[in-house]
Amino acid sequence: MTFPGFSALINAWWFLLLIPLIIFYFLKLRRPRMEIPSLALWRQVISDQRVNSPFQKFKRNLLLLLQILLLCVLVISAMQPYLNSGTQRGQNLPVLIDTSASMAALDAPGGKSRLAEAKEKVHKLIDDLLPEQQLCLISVNSSARRLTDFTSNKRLLRESLDQLEVSHVPSHLEDGFRLAQALSRAFPIESVMLLSEGNVPQDVEFELPFKLNFQRLQPGGANVGIVDFNARRSKTGWDVFARIEGSETAKTLAEYELRQNGQVIKSESVSIDGLRAERLVFRVSTDIAVSLELRLKPDGFDSLETDNVAYLDLPIPRPLAVYCPADMTSFRNALAIIPDINLYPSGEPTPAAVDLKFAEGPLSTGPEARVNVNVGYVPDDIASLVEIESGLAEIVDWQRTAPLLQHVQLLDVQIADQPKLAKGVGEREFELAGYEILAQSRTGPLILERQTGNQLDIQFLFHPDRSSLIYRVGFPILIQNVTQVALMRAALSESKGTTTGTLPPLKMAPETEYQISGPHGYSDSGRSDKDGFAMGLAAPYVGLYEVTGPPETRRIGVSLLASRESSMKTIDKLNFPEVSVTAADAEVKSDQPLWGWFAVAGLCLLTVEWWYFQKRPAGVPA
Amino acid sequence: MDNTSQFTNLLQNSTLARVERMRMLPMRRRTNRSRGEHLAGKGGTSTEFNDYRDYVAGDDMRYVDWNIFSRLNRPYIKQYRHEEEMHVVILIDASASMQFGDKFQRARQLAACFAVMGLMNIEKVSIFACQHSGTTPLILPPCTGRISLKRVFKFLEEIPPGGDFPIEEAVEATLVQHRGRGIAVLLSDFLTFGALERPMNMLFSAGLEVFAVQLLSTIELNPELTGDLRFVDSESGMTLDVSSVGDLLGFYHEHLNGLQEHLATLCRQRSGRFICLDSSQPLEEILFDTLKRKGWVQ
Repeated sequence: MTFPGFSALINAWWFLLLIPLIIFYFLKLRRPRMEIPSLALWRQVISDQRVNSPFQKFKRNLLLLLQILLLCVLVISAMQPYLNSGTQRGQNLPVLIDTSASMAALDAPGGKSRLAEAKEKVHKLIDDLLPEQQLCLISVNSSARRLTDFTSNKRLLRESLDQLEVSHVPSHLEDGFRLAQALSRAFPIESVMLLSEGNVPQDVEFELPFKLNFQRLQPGGANVGIVDFNARRSKTGWDVFARIEGSETAKTLAEYELRQNGQVIKSESVSIDGLRAERLVFRVSTDIAVSLELRLKPDGFDSLETDNVAYLDLPIPRPLAVYCPADMTSFRNALAIIPDINLYPSGEPTPAAVDLKFAEGPLSTGPEARVNVNVGYVPDDIASLVEIESGLAEIVDWQRTAPLLQHVQLLDVQIADQPKLAKGVGEREFELAGYEILAQSRTGPLILERQTGNQLDIQFLFHPDRSSLIYRVGFPILIQNVTQVALMRAALSESKGTTTGTLPPLKMAPETEYQISGPHGYSDSGRSDKDGFAMGLAAPYVGLYEVTGPPETRRIGVSLLASRESSMKTIDKLNFPEVSVTAADAEVKSDQPLWGWFAVAGLCLLTVEWWYFQKRPAGVPA
Repeated sequence: MDNTSQFTNLLQNSTLARVERMRMLPMRRRTNRSRGEHLAGKGGTSTEFNDYRDYVAGDDMRYVDWNIFSRLNRPYIKQYRHEEEMHVVILIDASASMQFGDKFQRARQLAACFAVMGLMNIEKVSIFACQHSGTTPLILPPCTGRISLKRVFKFLEEIPPGGDFPIEEAVEATLVQHRGRGIAVLLSDFLTFGALERPMNMLFSAGLEVFAVQLLSTIELNPELTGDLRFVDSESGMTLDVSSVGDLLGFYHEHLNGLQEHLATLCRQRSGRFICLDSSQPLEEILFDTLKRKGWVQ
């Protein structure tokens, strides 16, 4: 605490009332006259030295002093004094409140959650709000949401704060800071306050334009949770993997239960030591789609419950359906050696939809596919950007980490098709068209990739048959990579548990209404797009979600599966590109308004004044 | 005397009847060339024995006490009292300060009583009423005997109120006119700015034993005042602003007690008497209880 301040300093002008107060007191405009026999004795009384002692002068002028004191107290109260907490706090203060999954952790058995503690501190901030100060509450988890505008309405702030709940998602602070930065364009902001227990990413990709007051709450207690739940296709079914981790102080026994379509198929105990992860492996033999649920029941205190359950959906095991025209022999030869593939066209009818399709022309021909590979063709939407001319081209650069091009050596590949960019066209124009350049020559791009909803289009602007690529070892590897991409997209090679945040895109009838219901009473509705995809469905809580819409109702299990959230690890400081902000463990300091105390003091003075001048005067015999 | 008609407005007939039988008791014997009913201390030729003294050559042998001589074998001369007349001077403070409460009425009543006592005991009684400063007091010339009662009452009843004559100046003005030793009865509130030592000394030098009666009203004895007031002197019109009067009452009583002690000391040192009376106290109680117990009258 430092020096006191005043919010309404202009009210100090009321001190001028002291002048007429003193003048009128000594003028005694209403001093009553009283005729007495003689002033002889009273003159002696007034002349008595004891009467003129400072104490007696004080007693004689006690009424004046009390009135002066009362006026001073009232004026100071009107000046809205407050005790400066010493922390810098401007008029407008955005308060970022971490509502990620770890904020639901308890500090002790039967204790309070981290979010409850954060709410207490914000309530104190609201209570100590000075008249000219405004708060804006922002909830930060995987994204940011503004709870209130800048306001000094304490009731509104308290109501919004009380309705705040934890979202079962990992924390991601950048959105919160960007929201605060956006607010600063309309309101002057000197500093931003962040309330979190510290279980957030340490490195933040955001350049701070304001001061950050990072108030770190007490961390949660020991915790054990499921941080990974996935499966890989095996010859007999699926190999299911689960990883259990805990916080540093977690040392406990835990019992886990694995359910398949609601039936318990395995139950065991496992010892958890917070310092190392426990890996579980299960074999699931099935030829139908199954839903797996893994539940963990720690014996001791477990601060976070949401990471004790995980869901995993396993699709029906089947071969990858690939469509490759018969005249694309080099591609068909490369596909023929890949096991567990149904290659079309073949003797069997071609299905209306396949997992992977190869084409040499517009993609509108042939069956529908999740992954499309088009070769030797420039799509209409980028025809204005590039054209293919006859000439010799070489690949000078490619994305070696792209799933399509992993382990594929494209150096010294001779290509008889030469791309030529239109004048003034660069990489930016292809990005605006939605394409990512995977490989390019000196004169233009050669391999492009575009993600449209759930569909992936890979575009070879040149035909591999007119290049040396088909003769290189890299070509079958490339084809293998494409099939792997298709397998992953079809969830045929591996399956991962769906994490909170958003549901995966769902295929349904085009432009139809759908309803979503989930845990904690969550519900939402929407409309599928023209391609029949429902995307961006929010899944903020751990549990089972039901999506109702044509052609069928789907149930999707959503899990936390966040290692950082389950570890309860906290950080001491946040690293921004140019600055680091250290967390403060101290109590949230706020300016302490004092006007109420002065008002009470004024009331007491008034009472004393009334009592003093109502009691029997001294010197009068009873 | 008819029971339905009062002899005087100042006293009830019954009170008057009792006062006629009372007499003042001076503390000292004063000599006066005139013969009165008070016995002088000096030796005289009356039949009342006074004292013995040693025989010296030349004394009249007729006054030797032969009984003592026969017993003691030494001659002693008998001495006899000398009967002399006492003068009673009554000084009434008739200034404006005496108009508060019943002070002036009580003063006139007491003056009447003391005058009756003096007249009924063959004393010379004179009354001085002091009103306005710088003027001659109103005087009732010395008179004696019952026949002077009516004149005394008439004089007292007709004293006009109001004035600004300080008591110390009133005493001096009185002594300018008065001759004779005896008793000086001062009826006043003694609330004066001046010093009282000089008039007391003058009275003592004039052979007058002071009977000082301070009459105070209730507002002077027990003032119940609060707040901030502007006091106005009833005689001079001077004002005095006093703040928080209630807080100063303690000091007021201290100074009032101090004044009374000072007056009592002045009188005592000059073989006089002093008493402070509440003007609201009944006259009969004053005369037949208070003054009797104090030894002023019998």
